[in-house]
Amino acid sequence: MTRTYGFAAAIVLIIASGAVALGQASKKAAAAGEDVAATIAIMDHIWLDAAHNRDAGTLNWLFADDFVEVHPGGFIVNKQQQIDQIMDPQRTLNELHPDDIEVRYVSPDVAVLTDTTTIKGSSGGVTYNGPQRVIRVFVKQHGRWRAAGAGIVRIAAQ
Amino acid sequence: MRKIHVGTLALILSFAPLAFGQAKSAATPAGGGEDWKALDHKWLDSERTGDMDYLEKFFADSYVLVLANGQSYAKKEWLGILRSADRPTLLLLDPENIQVHVFGNVAILTDHTTIKGHDSKGNSLDGEFNVFRVVIKQNGSWRATGVVMNQDLTKK
Repeated sequence: MTRTYGFAAAIVLIIASGAVALGQASKKAAAAGEDVAATIAIMDHIWLDAAHNRDAGTLNWLFADDFVEVHPGGFIVNKQQQIDQIMDPQRTLNELHPDDIEVRYVSPDVAVLTDTTTIKGSSGGVTYNGPQRVIRVFVKQHGRWRAAGAGIVRIAAQ
Repeated sequence: MRKIHVGTLALILSFAPLAFGQAKSAATPAGGGEDWKALDHKWLDSERTGDMDYLEKFFADSYVLVLANGQSYAKKEWLGILRSADRPTLLLLDPENIQVHVFGNVAILTDHTTIKGHDSKGNSLDGEFNVFRVVIKQNGSWRATGVVMNQDLTKK
């Protein structure tokens, strides 16, 4: 199991490295009309892959120092609290993936997207069992994209 | 009916947050000495007076509002609700614990907003929410681009 996670973490790091390259390139590329939105969509997957694999290294790399996230129920966490929740051995996570990624705003140093994240499990005292609507914010700091924050709310059953 | 009800609630919240910032001395002029309180006051005042011209400008084209039930509205959809006959009556908008996180040309605000009021049919809009707000700087002006509302269950 540990090896599995280690392998997954390595894959994430490889992808993350690629993202770093993309992030660095986007500054030049943004002016040249490069698709920053595509980079940000990749960052969304990196974010959730790291959370799914309990990859604290990638999360530390990804989250800006002043990162903030609001969870269902209105629980507000900072960077360290969010990573601690993800790394908590009591956490259970059977499913975590984004769909319907829509990059709504892009500038040379800011990107905002929405997605529908399916979460099945429990974390930080919150039980997840289905789709969540999410706004994610990315900022470019020192030449690379980082996650600034997210607001998550459960999509009520129709 | 349900949609309208939730929509009006969201409307209230969308104004409240920024409004609340104005009322809070803790609405720190975080990055670059920005006067978040003034920004919030303007937003709330515009909601109270129905200044749709201002809101049209203040909401970025990318604006999206996500209500506490997960339903989302784009700028055009939301302004359409605000212009409708189903505008809510707001008796109390009390934002507290505003926190501002500034990242250059984007800022994330979180707050706790207490709402008391009713929709056009008299249905209560009372509730307490923790809200995630995103504003971006475009051409030198801060504009709202996203809101996610959550019922505050942290004290239960």
